[in-house]
Amino acid sequence: MSAATASESFDVIVVGAGPAGSTAALLCARAGLQVLLLERGEYPGAKNVSGAAFYGSAILNELIPNWWEQAPVERYICRRDIAFMSPTTSVALDFHCAGEGYTTPPYNGFIVLRPRFDRWLAAQAEAAGAFLLTSTVVDDVLRENGRVVGVRVRREQGDIRGKVVIACDGVNSFLAKKVGLQREFHAHELSLGVKEVLGLDPTIIEDRFRLSGDEGIAYEYLGAITEDVHGGAFLYTNRDSLSLGVIGQVSSLVERRKRPYELLERFKAHPAVAPLVRGAKLREYSAHLIPESGWSMKPTLYTDGMLVAGDAAGFCLAAGLYLEGMNYAMQSGLAAAETAIEACRRDRFSARALSGYRKHLKRRNVSTDFRAYRHAPAFVNSARLQNLYPEVVASGMEQLFRVDGKAKRKILPLARQMMRQYQLKPGDMLRDGYQVVRAYLW
Amino acid sequence: MVMTTHEEKMRTVRFRVAATPHIVVDSEVCRDSGCSLRACVYVCPANLFVPLDDGGILFNYEQCFECGTCYIACNQEGAIRWSYPDGGYGVTFRES
Amino acid sequence: MHIAVCLKHVPDPSTVEVDPLTGAIDDGRVLYMLNPADESALELALRLRPADGKVTAISIGPADADALLREALAAGVDSVVRVWDASLGPIKPAITSVLLAAALRATGLPDLVLCGGYSADRGSGTVPALLAEHLGWPAITDVTRFEIVSGRALVQRRLARGARAESEVLLPAVLGLDLDRLRLRQASLPKLMRAKHAPVPLCGLEALDLSPQDLHFPAMTLHEVMPPRPRARMMFAPDATAPVQERVAQILSAGIAGKSGQKVEGGTPEQQADAIIDFLRQRGFLEERAGP
Repeated sequence: MSAATASESFDVIVVGAGPAGSTAALLCARAGLQVLLLERGEYPGAKNVSGAAFYGSAILNELIPNWWEQAPVERYICRRDIAFMSPTTSVALDFHCAGEGYTTPPYNGFIVLRPRFDRWLAAQAEAAGAFLLTSTVVDDVLRENGRVVGVRVRREQGDIRGKVVIACDGVNSFLAKKVGLQREFHAHELSLGVKEVLGLDPTIIEDRFRLSGDEGIAYEYLGAITEDVHGGAFLYTNRDSLSLGVIGQVSSLVERRKRPYELLERFKAHPAVAPLVRGAKLREYSAHLIPESGWSMKPTLYTDGMLVAGDAAGFCLAAGLYLEGMNYAMQSGLAAAETAIEACRRDRFSARALSGYRKHLKRRNVSTDFRAYRHAPAFVNSARLQNLYPEVVASGMEQLFRVDGKAKRKILPLARQMMRQYQLKPGDMLRDGYQVVRAYLW
Repeated sequence: MVMTTHEEKMRTVRFRVAATPHIVVDSEVCRDSGCSLRACVYVCPANLFVPLDDGGILFNYEQCFECGTCYIACNQEGAIRWSYPDGGYGVTFRES
Repeated sequence: MHIAVCLKHVPDPSTVEVDPLTGAIDDGRVLYMLNPADESALELALRLRPADGKVTAISIGPADADALLREALAAGVDSVVRVWDASLGPIKPAITSVLLAAALRATGLPDLVLCGGYSADRGSGTVPALLAEHLGWPAITDVTRFEIVSGRALVQRRLARGARAESEVLLPAVLGLDLDRLRLRQASLPKLMRAKHAPVPLCGLEALDLSPQDLHFPAMTLHEVMPPRPRARMMFAPDATAPVQERVAQILSAGIAGKSGQKVEGGTPEQQADAIIDFLRQRGFLEERAGP
């Protein structure tokens, strides 16, 4: 345990004890550096919200072997269900995997509750020797000759020096903006997630969702659930509760004048969702912003004496099929830590000395993934994909399966009729097809 | 009880209210710019923005989620001044 | 001047959810905090502390209470002490006050003890008075304002119905405070960092020279917790022997009888007193005493 006192300065100051900050602090502390981990909440995780499906099990397993045995996890994810919704129907892709690595260690993904999980993770960083201070807001960085040399916290005598500052202060990252690494965001780049945790008896959850033991399922929804607001919805099974939420693009919420919590109520009332949540009791309501635009909202990732990681760097992959943030937060946190460790070893902290961050991000496949899927967010948020296609698919299926004594129609004439009905232009569809190919196939 | 009113939702959230507001809405700006969009009123997940008849906005900071949506959604330069509450104050999520 | 402040860790009432059917509380969702009245007392003690003075914070409870005492250290108290013993379970005010008194004796008696008047959980408000009794000191409760002038506390107390009383007490004394809410100051960064890993001295029963016998109070056993039930309301029934008109009038007045007075005039004072007693007895204000 480090017994740092106020007069000391630190090698590394990590701002924000979320998944990015705590893993960065953990790795730096293990390398023998003096690490200060600052968190503005009453405890780490107190301000943090996500679904939360955590697909970074293998990453964390490298740091803390068999971490799931000691961490507060809810269930491991062995089924994923992606549904297209219209007001009365839903068409779903149900993926069930009992294979190696999904239902066996290290498991592909876990459902977690952030206030508990983040608190545990920060405690691991603390156990490794990081000095954690909670209830402490960082207002600004300290600069000398244009270089970042520490942070200013909102307390008396609140200046504290560090050789490297790693900003993991979340989606609103005031630090990255103060230093000029990040610009102000536009309303179309961010989505608002509103969420409820609904208490439900574990035996009911297991029966209702056909789960046994610690198995869990992650549902993701697209289409009419958010009406004409661009976004989606999710439902995850916790141990004795359900996490359920609606995500809406901020600009779209403004345009449509929709209140987010009303969308949440509509979602719960949808005929495909209502039976899943029946009898559950509200335990907690929450909300958080999501940086959904990926690569296009990436800040300058480093400057003299400072690195940016996690949501603060926009490392959140919202690309339809994928809805991942915590794993990239950890990967970027680790990459930042590796950079900081190298910098401390060479005792050089200029932007040039920190430029190894790119290399580490690439090696940890963060920049690789975000570059590969850089076209996906815009495509996912396009009006046709959001509102039209789910509706078309759902009502197409509805007609395909309807038996009313009339002659059955084959798929092609039906498709032609659907196109006429929804005024789909072949050119648009071709363009969207190309978008799919460009966003997902290569 | 699956379906809940907004008041019922807010009752499940724990707030430790700071002595001073961390968000300040300058109603002068709302009035002078003749803002008719009033995005803040719709997007706030805690429903904290109340439109006034004179074109201003009444804001209550006590039950704020500190999400930043109002700041992003507002299209009037300088109408919303935003920071985080003092350390340890504000919203504390327990399960989300 | 040496001021001691008693601090209690209490559940934040806004996080306590009682199951309406079973009356059970979901422990996993409860967050603890420094009792608000104690927070005010602590902040006041820090404000009152003269340059050569000293403030000690004391708390009774298992290891969780260390967080509370470190918060006090960060805010600027000079010393802290936690009192606990593995043999202790849930404790009540009678035991709390014995432990507090013993701990104050063991760590050096202060000139003034400040307590929050009521805790947010139990709220009996008895600890300040019981503590004073064990110390053999005067106690003043429901204190809304006070100042220390040359070894005396000049105190304003809250009485019923908005009345106030002013009194004066020689120190040492115990004050139970009922102040407007004072927030504990934000600790400075250096103090917060020093307090983070500061050792918190622990006093057990042995160190306090107490035996389990000293903590033996007639046991109270909790048999059952029930949700509150609305009290039954008496329905008014008119006098069946009265004529119809009168009964209708009684129903319409919903049983509220007019305030009809009766003047007692003439006779000796004894006779007048008897008349008044008769009147009160008729109205049901006096009960017949059974037996001699």
